[in-house]
Amino acid sequence: MRFLPLIVKNCLRNRRRSVLTVASLSISLCLLGVLMALYYALFFGGPAKAQARRIVTRHKVSIVFQMPIYYREQIRKVAGVEEVAIWQWYGGVYKDSRDQRNFFPRLGVEADRLFKIYQDYRIPEDQKQAFMRDPAGCVVGRSLANRFGFQVGDKILIKGDIFPFDLDLTIRGIFETSEGSDEALWFNFKYLENALHDSSRLAAGTFTLLARSPEDVPRICREVDALFANSPAPTKTESEYAFGLSFLSFLGNIKVILMSICGAVTFTILLISANTMAMSVRERVREVGVLKTLGFQAGTILWLILAESGLIAMIGGAIGLAVAQLLCLVIRQGPAIVDQTKTLSIQPPVFAALVGVSLFIGVASAIAPAWSAARQNIVDALRFTD
Amino acid sequence: MSDLVISTSKLTKEYIRDEFKVVALRDADLEVRRGDFVALMGPSGSGKSTLLHLTAAMDRPTSGTINVLGSDLNSLSDSAIARWRNRHVGFVFQSFNLIPVLTALENVELPLKLTHLKKGERIQHAATALRLVGLGERLGHFPRQLSGGEEQRVAIARAIVTDPDILLCDEPTGNLDARSAQEVLALISTLNKEHGKTIVMVTHDPHAAHHAARIRYLDKGELLPDGSKPQDWN
Ligand SMILES: Nc1ncnc2c1ncn2[C@@H]1O[C@H](COP(=O)(O)OP(=O)(O)OP(=O)(O)O)[C@@H](O)[C@H]1O
Ligand SMILES: [Mg+2]
Repeated sequence: MRFLPLIVKNCLRNRRRSVLTVASLSISLCLLGVLMALYYALFFGGPAKAQARRIVTRHKVSIVFQMPIYYREQIRKVAGVEEVAIWQWYGGVYKDSRDQRNFFPRLGVEADRLFKIYQDYRIPEDQKQAFMRDPAGCVVGRSLANRFGFQVGDKILIKGDIFPFDLDLTIRGIFETSEGSDEALWFNFKYLENALHDSSRLAAGTFTLLARSPEDVPRICREVDALFANSPAPTKTESEYAFGLSFLSFLGNIKVILMSICGAVTFTILLISANTMAMSVRERVREVGVLKTLGFQAGTILWLILAESGLIAMIGGAIGLAVAQLLCLVIRQGPAIVDQTKTLSIQPPVFAALVGVSLFIGVASAIAPAWSAARQNIVDALRFTD
Repeated sequence: MSDLVISTSKLTKEYIRDEFKVVALRDADLEVRRGDFVALMGPSGSGKSTLLHLTAAMDRPTSGTINVLGSDLNSLSDSAIARWRNRHVGFVFQSFNLIPVLTALENVELPLKLTHLKKGERIQHAATALRLVGLGERLGHFPRQLSGGEEQRVAIARAIVTDPDILLCDEPTGNLDARSAQEVLALISTLNKEHGKTIVMVTHDPHAAHHAARIRYLDKGELLPDGSKPQDWN
């Protein structure tokens, strides 16, 4: 510790270089921080509290296949299931399908059951009642309402594409959530019942279940799937969280992509700072000889250089972390790419990993020059001229 | 302990440079007593610095023995030697070699950081050493704010701050103008006469050498016997 002032002064020796090194470190570590936060949110984050009890059942083969409506009653009987609701993907076209902005999910839902399952979705009680009463009613998420300027009472026309009829809906309410995405339109399932009557097209796209407790989830998944294993429409049941993740695989192997970007970023900063440290140690060969003449041991020299490099890396890392946290905040405000970005932040494990990476870069980038400086013969070091 | 502080026997140092062997020092027998002030002179490349470096255990001899202050330097480990040098030997370079990012006071404090002294004591010792070399007013100055002569006096303060028995100086006035050189030589003499430091000083300057009690000459790696000079010397 008594060498700390010397270490700090060595860091400040070439100010411009140190500032540039810290800057490049912080930019890279910031990028790394956001990527790692995303990775963590996707693959380690686990479900949010309210989501932990929710389960989704879908057709085993593909989400595009339908399941009979009566499955709902059978699923309801499985121990630990408190509520089951049908979801049906309507698709359709709003205004002009060529404009990306006009795309948003449009789902038929069982209004009465839905808000029991989605207790974290907030909607004024009178709006909820109005929605349940109106077979042609719908509710929209706050973000969607803001995007199109929707107000309660507005009419919306959605042209059918999968289904042979159009939706002529009235907005009965606007819901909000802090956890998931709210860029969706939910319309009353009765609309589908009225339009399709008892035809075979009246079916369920997915079922959402509410388990009594998160601990019941794995067992319920197994029991539900066992129920329909030998039927013409077998099911695949998993937590809503896992279900959400399975959509991500459509975007390619995000895991590998994120990992390789993180690796490349780390490797690049390592090279940059290794180059800088090599330069900065080389300029001080003579000084190392002087320190040794004064009685400094090889180990102390090694430690001094590593600490200097580590300090620079930690400062860069700290700034990078702060900026990354800020960026997460910005991402949270933006549109949800996946639900997880709504709550993106630097979690403690990511924080620890970033500190570790900074420290690793600091030490690894300096170890070679530090080692050779520490071992160099005093007389050779003193004769060194640059 | 006898008053023989430096004693070498058949001390030899060879360097391999580009596959050629250079004998920098051959079979040198040097004896220096406590309180002595020896000047080493000789042509460039005659091995003066080499002898000084071996005496400070900054390098290991190829052969021969060297005993300084009762320690057989060949038998000490690298870390033991570093501790030993910190405690017993002060070294002054021709080119001062102060650490540019540290103030005069911090430069002088540096060797004390390797001791058990507390911060307050270290500062006190360093300030005392700087006052001794006449720079009591310049504690907070950085090397670039000092003249060459002042820098060398800071370097001397750094060399003596641990109160070593031996002070080794390699052309301490080589980079100085006549006046600064005179001040530095006066300081070194004082350290010898009043503080009892044993001093070995390499110099090219006959005037500087006259401050020493005796002069030893080196020629082509050989330490000439006491009293003799290289043939073509002056
Ligand atoms: N580290 C080294 N590697 C290779 N050769 C060296 C080394 N140190 C010294 N030499 C050689 O050994 C010889 C003696 O060198 P030394 O530095 O002791 O001479 P010197 O008397 O101090 O000379 P000067 O008056 O120029 O300082 C020279 O030929 C020098 O080139
Ligand atoms: Mg020399």
